[in-house]
Amino acid sequence: MKDNGLLSFLKDSLFSEECALRGGLLQSLDPRIKVLGFALILVSALLARSIGFIFCLYLLSLCLALFSGIKLGFFLKRTWVFIPLFSLIIGLPALFSNFTPGEELLRINLGSFSPAISVSGVLTFSLFVLRVAATVSFAVLLSMTMRHFQLLKVLRIFGIPQVFVMVLGICYRYLYLLVEIVENTYLAVRSRVGAGLHYRAGQQVAGWNIAFLWMRSYRLSENVYMAMLSRGYRGQVHVLEDFKTGLKDWLWLIFTAALIICTLRFFH
Amino acid sequence: MVNIYGSIDNMHTPLFSLKDVWFSYLGKIPALSGVDIDIYPGQKVSLVGANGSGKSTLLHLLDGLIFADRGSVSFLAKRLEAKAFADEKFDREFRRRVGFVFQNPDVQLFCPTVKEDIVFGPLHLGFEKNEISRRLEKIIGILDIGSLLDRSAHQLSVGEKRKVAIASTLIIEPDILIFDEPTAGLDPQTSRKIIDLLVDRSLESRTVITSTHDLHIVEEISDVVCVLGQKGRIIRSGQPGSILSDADLLAENNLAHIHSHRHKDKVHVHEHAHSEHHSQE
Repeated sequence: MKDNGLLSFLKDSLFSEECALRGGLLQSLDPRIKVLGFALILVSALLARSIGFIFCLYLLSLCLALFSGIKLGFFLKRTWVFIPLFSLIIGLPALFSNFTPGEELLRINLGSFSPAISVSGVLTFSLFVLRVAATVSFAVLLSMTMRHFQLLKVLRIFGIPQVFVMVLGICYRYLYLLVEIVENTYLAVRSRVGAGLHYRAGQQVAGWNIAFLWMRSYRLSENVYMAMLSRGYRGQVHVLEDFKTGLKDWLWLIFTAALIICTLRFFH
Repeated sequence: MVNIYGSIDNMHTPLFSLKDVWFSYLGKIPALSGVDIDIYPGQKVSLVGANGSGKSTLLHLLDGLIFADRGSVSFLAKRLEAKAFADEKFDREFRRRVGFVFQNPDVQLFCPTVKEDIVFGPLHLGFEKNEISRRLEKIIGILDIGSLLDRSAHQLSVGEKRKVAIASTLIIEPDILIFDEPTAGLDPQTSRKIIDLLVDRSLESRTVITSTHDLHIVEEISDVVCVLGQKGRIIRSGQPGSILSDADLLAENNLAHIHSHRHKDKVHVHEHAHSEHHSQE
């Protein structure tokens, strides 16, 4: 069940657009303005040096999650999976006076080696973890409240080459199909041999799967290309732009712009 | 109507003309061997044959997606070869006039949303934005797919995917429509809807080429039937009635249906070759 569980998790986290389809505050914003606003907030979080200010930004992300119809518990789970990953390993050494000299707060006795935690170390570490928490929360919030096709459209608007964005979109689209094929193959194997597959046999099945998947994806890509040619594709990508902005969008942009001005003026 | 390829109003000039066409995959696996066929404007042609008889390969050749190893495939007397499609003007005109609906809709739906998939063709064939919007509205109405526009392809059922794939071709409003196994893998009701679409009045004047091994739909959707044999050769062509009533021909080419019925303890197995109702006519 482990492999299948992993695949289901991948499918749920990558392809579920349930939150993005809810009628909350962030979902109602024009995707271009929303992305621009989030970019400004992230820059603010990176430039700010005040723990209090970054903490307020973190609280802002929680409020925005609530106003966007996302349950707080669910949101915290989604974000705090990543935060230790990005912050603890990198930030932990900063606690110690060897890396951040300053007034000693606590000494840990480990026999001949006794490192000390400094006050400035704790402050640096807290600032770092909070900054990661705030930025990760905003990044997760953006991805949760935006459908992937909107994000791709916004990337195009912000000057990312069309072909690159198109390839990204096609990858996303067919990743789902390939995940489904792998899932079905595992189910087919399980239905015939049960759960107790010897690891050597499992390795063999995985090997076949990789080869099979490679052949399938190669064939699929050829057919997709033919389908594109059949409808007039000649290497240039054309897309339909249909975004519309309203008063709410401009208010959001003004708010985030004010935030970065505040950061630069008072907290940088 | 005159264009760079000549007149298409002339019913005596074939749209597609295939002369002694041979094709093999990787130069080893033969798919077509010596196919000859002429398709005229307004004809409804069905290509029938068992799995692996070369139906899809033949359709890909007609759409200029692959090219013959030997022999010639012509569209209004212009040979369909890589050189011809290198000319952007020809490519665009050809793609505007020939629409292809693939057997596997997953192949045809590669954009992030249904709406983008539908407008992909018109956008790349240089239609005006207003015209695209007008056609989009029209096709949404015909196929009743308005509620699917913002969805991704993976959020659709097989029947919905098929409808969207058809919409993405019909929006181009081509003179010639090519359908590769349009009813394969569909439940009876969805299959019925697709057949209704194929025989819809709006397609009456168009040339429709369909590949299928579902003999139930052949008579309804075509006025010419070509039977492809196991070796990728056209065994026979003619009117649906004469083909469907030839039980030997269908049996030899793996097209005869086998039905079985249970009557109490006995199971009756018999072939159903469409001959009975044709002989009664």
